[in-house]
Amino acid sequence: MTAGRRDSGEGKGGAAAPVDVVGTPVSRVDALDKVTGAAKYTGDLIVPGMLYGKVLRSPFPHARIICVDASAAERIPGVRAVLTGRDLADLDPYYGHAVRDRPVVAIDRVRFAGEPVAAVAADDEHTAHAALAAIQVEYQELPAVTDLTMALNDGAPRVHEEALRPGFLHSGEFRREEGNICYHYRIARGDAARAMAAADVVVEGDYTFPAVYQYAMEPHTVVAQWSADGLTVWACCQHPYLVRAELAGIFRLPQSAVRVIVPYVGGGFGSKSYTRMEPLTAALARKAGRPIRIANRVDEAMLTTRRHNMRCWLRTGVARDGRVVARECRIWLDTGAYADNGPRVALAAGDAAPGPYRWQAVAVDAWAVYTHMPPAGSYRAFGATHLQWIGESQIDVLAHRLGIDPVECRRRNLLRPGEEVRPGRKPLEADLAADVSKVAAAVGWGTPKPPLVGRGVSIGVMGAGANPASTAAVRMQADGTLVLLASTTEIGQGARTVLAQIAAQELALPLERIRVAGADTHVTPYDRSTGASRSTTVAGLAVQRAAADVREQLLDIASRVWGLPRVALRLHEGAVWHETESRSYADLIATHFGIAGGELIGRGEVAPGRGDGQAAGPVFWEISCGGAEVELDPSTGRIRVRRLASVADVGKAINPQLVEVQDEGACLQGLGNAFFEEMLFDGGQLINGSLLEYRVPTMADLPDEFHSILVGNGVGPGPYGAMGVGEGALAAVPGAIVNALLDLGLQMRDLPLTPERVWRRLREVE
Amino acid sequence: MLRPFEIHEPATVAEASRLLARLGEQAAVYAGGTELLLLMKEGLAHFPHLVNIKTIGGLDAIAFEDGVLRLGAVATHREIETSPAARQHAPLVARVASQVGNLRVRAAGTIGGNLCFAEPHSDPAAVLVAWDATLVLARAGGERCVPAAGFFLGMLQTAREPDEILTAVEVRPLPPGTGAAYHRFALHERPTAAVAAVVTVRDGAVAAARVVVGSVGPVPVRVPEAEDALAGRRPEGEVLRAAAEVAGRRADVLEDMFTSTEYKRHLVSLLAARALHDAVSAARTAH
Ligand SMILES: Cc1cc2nc3c(=O)[nH]c(=O)nc-3n(C[C@H](O)[C@H](O)[C@H](O)COP(=O)(O)OP(=O)(O)OC[C@H]3O[C@@H](n4cnc5c(N)ncnc54)[C@H](O)[C@@H]3O)c2cc1C
Repeated sequence: MTAGRRDSGEGKGGAAAPVDVVGTPVSRVDALDKVTGAAKYTGDLIVPGMLYGKVLRSPFPHARIICVDASAAERIPGVRAVLTGRDLADLDPYYGHAVRDRPVVAIDRVRFAGEPVAAVAADDEHTAHAALAAIQVEYQELPAVTDLTMALNDGAPRVHEEALRPGFLHSGEFRREEGNICYHYRIARGDAARAMAAADVVVEGDYTFPAVYQYAMEPHTVVAQWSADGLTVWACCQHPYLVRAELAGIFRLPQSAVRVIVPYVGGGFGSKSYTRMEPLTAALARKAGRPIRIANRVDEAMLTTRRHNMRCWLRTGVARDGRVVARECRIWLDTGAYADNGPRVALAAGDAAPGPYRWQAVAVDAWAVYTHMPPAGSYRAFGATHLQWIGESQIDVLAHRLGIDPVECRRRNLLRPGEEVRPGRKPLEADLAADVSKVAAAVGWGTPKPPLVGRGVSIGVMGAGANPASTAAVRMQADGTLVLLASTTEIGQGARTVLAQIAAQELALPLERIRVAGADTHVTPYDRSTGASRSTTVAGLAVQRAAADVREQLLDIASRVWGLPRVALRLHEGAVWHETESRSYADLIATHFGIAGGELIGRGEVAPGRGDGQAAGPVFWEISCGGAEVELDPSTGRIRVRRLASVADVGKAINPQLVEVQDEGACLQGLGNAFFEEMLFDGGQLINGSLLEYRVPTMADLPDEFHSILVGNGVGPGPYGAMGVGEGALAAVPGAIVNALLDLGLQMRDLPLTPERVWRRLREVE
Repeated sequence: MLRPFEIHEPATVAEASRLLARLGEQAAVYAGGTELLLLMKEGLAHFPHLVNIKTIGGLDAIAFEDGVLRLGAVATHREIETSPAARQHAPLVARVASQVGNLRVRAAGTIGGNLCFAEPHSDPAAVLVAWDATLVLARAGGERCVPAAGFFLGMLQTAREPDEILTAVEVRPLPPGTGAAYHRFALHERPTAAVAAVVTVRDGAVAAARVVVGSVGPVPVRVPEAEDALAGRRPEGEVLRAAAEVAGRRADVLEDMFTSTEYKRHLVSLLAARALHDAVSAARTAH
């Protein structure tokens, strides 16, 4: 791997202190814990009295449950409880942040093969596992719709016949259409049909994207415990506060009676966003009257949530001079048996369809469709990954047809900073034309190419940051060290390091004097979620404000002590200074309290209600910009990536090394999505549910050259002008590769680009 | 999920064999465990007793003696890949060991475990069948030798008796004028298709040829039609192309979820062409 190049501009700076910790690639605060194995994950926890849970899953994609007889299982020594749909009578058993359509455990009906039907709690995992076979379930199989075509047919069986309640995400906004449509998102700007008719050149095509697994090294793991105080859950979840809200809803508890604690998380990539195995584990613990641990296996994780497979039709019209005119798009996303994050994915896919261009007219329809398949939800750069390669490949087809260089064609059409991206939303921050030029140069654009080598670029923007609601607290202890409380979870992205850097910067405090607590809803303050590239930008801003709050308190105390105005004071190395005289923070705190104790508490919040972010969002537009140079082996259809380049346009890299690894990790996942990742099903049954048969990228899949280009124009809404990264790079990769193949005359319309698929396409072309 | 099991650590082959005879279907030989433990973890097999043969002295030795390269059954792929003796006397066997899976699998997985498991996508199996290597099987009562080609009976099935231990693989250096080559194409870690070729060229013509197709069928097999297409001919252009094409057409190809049989046949032809080309080049320089 070549070292990433850095085109890092200076941040505009929000703090008075000179930039030093911020902008430095300090090593991760959790590095030692993780490489020594000392770091604790949910699965490492042993709660006294804990039992082990195993889940019985439906063998059928659609069936009525006639009867579940658990009596034989319950009699097995060591089995303490069996949970079935009957145990949910006193609960509000349907959950879902978008649509409350998913039961804690199947009630009367199963809607996908793999749906939890019962769960066993036993003294050990083996007993629990063995007891599953002793549960007798009588099913009446029903006709199933196991793909989009079947689900969209007239008269298709409906996955949900009953009326559905919206979840908290869509309160008021959720509309249900006919048949199996779960959600419909639409963009209509100008008269697309008319504009298209007036375009000089038009291309259109049908495209598909496969179902993909997010593969986090740690599958979903939950420990749940009930006590007189309520419910405590340890979970490897991304959004502890949203999980808490759903648990409180299901179990009819006040939110303060539910405590969600998140140890280190072994990766998520969206698979641990929102609520997953927590309700089932909590319900089983309630029935057993004992703490329970449930840990998914890889195949179970794949059945818990996944990326949407998709069908798409896209049409683009341009003028002879290469100016884009109109785009029309229809998108069908298979959201499986439950909505999960399908509505949001439909929205993001719809938003990604036009690309970052200046159109006269756009018409996009995106539907999330219910099927009898495992539910689909978030995965890094959802929607954008689905659509960007399609829109970008049509730009290249048109550019080739018009004899215009694809990079030049983009320069003529890309939105400029300050321009509107989508009607009513925040204008664009970044300089896209500059970004695309950078990746093009990095893959050798315009230089001579050996035979069978092609190059392509791809660019897009995605609304990121989710909701700008975060709070944070910092507690300066009597000895001048700091405890930082934030509910962004450390999921491998380095949040604890970056947040510590921000606090260190604001308080002129050496990094070693800061400890960052893990998320715990009884202790660390509210944060909406860990996802959508928002931790540094939004939670980071809350931390910056909390640290600034303590800084102000320190300056107040010092100014009182010295009888000097605050402008005469400055912070340096854990002390307040006046000229050459200094008082340590510990001193100042002791003076303030008049005893050797006490602490200063700083509070920071980011809230749309106080004007943070723009009402219509997004918090920022994350840039998705990549370039690739590939070499084709026509005898096998195999593609080798010679060079891969990505721009991480971060506004300000608080920790450049962490930015780079985010970018590289996302690119590598992008290669997996582009080349080989695909969940395979047969009649609704997952048939490659293991890592031997579902291939994820490894180091052997790295491109020959890898350029991660950091751009920092200080234009982001986060601390020091930062904005998030970590997702965009993934969405750019398939498009860059598909366009590099187009450069070789091969138009690919289906992912993944397996050698066989490319080989077949080559034979068609010949 | 791995269920509990008992581990036995015999000191000799005879002791191991007696254990296997006594415990019958309750026991399995345990070498590197890279296949066995996966199987048990997936719940596809359960053995309450595992007989660890890594504790048997000398079973991991790799040595060249009396004109034979002897690979001890518990030698790992990594040990074979880096063994000076193997590299000198059977360079292809050493190279193929270096292509197996990934470093973790090579460091733990043994040649004996690979062959005894008889997983259809074995790299060493295809090469050893083409090379005409000999497998040495031992039990409490004595030893017998089986040619590699006669060892693989079907997918996950071998000629090994339940109380037999594979103790060694014997590889003889290739005769003069003989070259060997192996080409594989992998979508996953294990190959999707592979071809091994061993060709003897005498007076400009093919005196003997063994063409073995691996990974696409239940076991690695010779393709007599491809070998016949070479016999007695000058190993050049059209002759090699025709033999390679026959190999693809005649290979016993199983369907799987990842690739069509049509594509696999195409790959076999392609790999056969490459393997034959390389084997012939090697034969021309091997005196
Ligand atoms: C991720 C992965 C990738 C792989 N990739 C490849 C690849 O690319 N190419 C390839 O060829 N292989 C590949 N393999 C297979 C690998 O080569 C074998 O797993 C390994 O060599 C098996 O040896 P082992 O010692 O671990 O066998 P074990 O798992 O210990 O045993 C396997 C079987 O053989 C029996 N057995 C073992 N040794 C003996 C003996 N001496 N006598 C009698 N019976 C015995 C056991 O009872 C068991 O049934 C891969 C495996 C994995 C997990």
